[in-house]
Amino acid sequence: MRWVWFHKLASPKWFYSWSNFWALPVFCFGCLCLAIGLVWGLAFAPEDYQQGNSFRIIYIHVPVAMLAQSCYLALGVASFVFLVWQMKMAPIFIKAMAPIGAVMALIALVSGAIWGKPTWGTWWVWDARLTSVLVLFFLYMGIIALQSALDDLVLANKAAAVISVVGLINLPIIKYSVVLLETLHQGPTFTLTKKPEMPPEMWLPLLCAVIGLYSFVAGLVLWRMQSEILMREHRSSWVKQEVMENGL
Amino acid sequence: MTYFSFVRAEFLVLWRRKQDVLNALLFFVIVVVLFPIGIDSSSEFLTPAASGIIWCATVLAVLMAVDSLFKEDYRDGSLEQLVVCGLSLPLLILLKVIAQWLAVILPLLVIMPLLGEMLYLSSASLWALMVTLLVGSPSLFFMGVIGAALTVSIKQGAILVMLLILPFYLPVIIFSTLAVKAAQAGLPYSGFLAMLLAMSLLSLVLSPFMTAIAVKASVN
Amino acid sequence: MAFDSLSAFLMMGKHGVYVWSAYGFSALALIWLVWNTLSTRQKTRNILRKRFVRSQTR
Repeated sequence: MRWVWFHKLASPKWFYSWSNFWALPVFCFGCLCLAIGLVWGLAFAPEDYQQGNSFRIIYIHVPVAMLAQSCYLALGVASFVFLVWQMKMAPIFIKAMAPIGAVMALIALVSGAIWGKPTWGTWWVWDARLTSVLVLFFLYMGIIALQSALDDLVLANKAAAVISVVGLINLPIIKYSVVLLETLHQGPTFTLTKKPEMPPEMWLPLLCAVIGLYSFVAGLVLWRMQSEILMREHRSSWVKQEVMENGL
Repeated sequence: MTYFSFVRAEFLVLWRRKQDVLNALLFFVIVVVLFPIGIDSSSEFLTPAASGIIWCATVLAVLMAVDSLFKEDYRDGSLEQLVVCGLSLPLLILLKVIAQWLAVILPLLVIMPLLGEMLYLSSASLWALMVTLLVGSPSLFFMGVIGAALTVSIKQGAILVMLLILPFYLPVIIFSTLAVKAAQAGLPYSGFLAMLLAMSLLSLVLSPFMTAIAVKASVN
Repeated sequence: MAFDSLSAFLMMGKHGVYVWSAYGFSALALIWLVWNTLSTRQKTRNILRKRFVRSQTR
């Protein structure tokens, strides 16, 4: 009986009204948390004794990089669910998630490069994590390109799911191989992994920003899924009622 | 139709279209030639870079070859026949890929000593390079075929296949070039070969099923 | 507060350019994402509404 809510999520109509209720609060909570985390990190956290103030980029870089990976994980799981159980909401989720993941990967790359300049002395290092985020960005762009190239909706759903599952299987291998490549080359003299333990007044704002960004993305995904649901279900009567009667 | 007659028909088609196979080979050689001309033709650059050059050219040639694997069958409707013929679709795809692999990789291995000479490779590293090609290239075909099946209904699908599949090729390129570098330094490289073999076997097991899903979705 | 004055906060030691360009880019990208999401939502509704109105008058 407890699983009824889960099965209901598979119905577009029920999902629409459910997300209508949750999207705005979740998004606002995310914005608030993110703002608190960023202001706290930028203005109040103590200076890093090695990197000075450039370490403050961490408060946007790390949450965004985490999101870039989590989005792909969610994408892969949803694709697997779609291929096995043909759940109707899964392709809608994939379509909504892929652009967000791509933007997250892009921000992670750019902020990482800007952070690299004062820390490593170059904009780009063939560091394992930078390279794997770059690959992640390509994977997202591939999914988006595939979806926009295929006109047939059924085929586009299947194609995006297949390529995301293949990506999910491949991603650990890619990551392992890139780490191997890096350890065999000469590593950068200053690595971020060997950073000393962070004091709480440094990582608490980071935690706040991470939670905030997750919530922010959740709200965005719900909104994007709503647009996609309306477009796909435009023949059903509830969509007509929803669009004609409610303003936004 | 039986599996045997299918394989015979596949090889017959490959033999009739031998110009395509030759084109893939020529494309491969031209890409390799671009590097000494474009960057540096001295042996100080070419010897360490040779394995990377050969592998990058191989990856591109394989993707070009794989992209056309289903195109003709899709256009003349024989891909649909494969889906409805009652034989196992994943198995048919597996056989088709193996036939294509033999047709592309065997000629490539034959001309490899020539290219090794042109890129100033020592005979030990040439051997390592050929073994990595033999062991690693199946995974290139098996991963590429998924992309080819997904984009078979698009007219200009080749670029899209490149964008989709090339990121998956990174580990294969990394393991192979590391193996050849280890061979050049006189170190054992069987660990890298084992990784390549593992990737080939994994993709051999998973890819036919993924490709079958993609083919079915594309045909309908 | 880790900084003495507003100008010190904006300068961030000698790393002000890096920190603020990183945050500026991130903010622009996130704002674009929100704008894109909301405008798609609004556009979808407008398209559907027009379609429904047209089918009613016919």
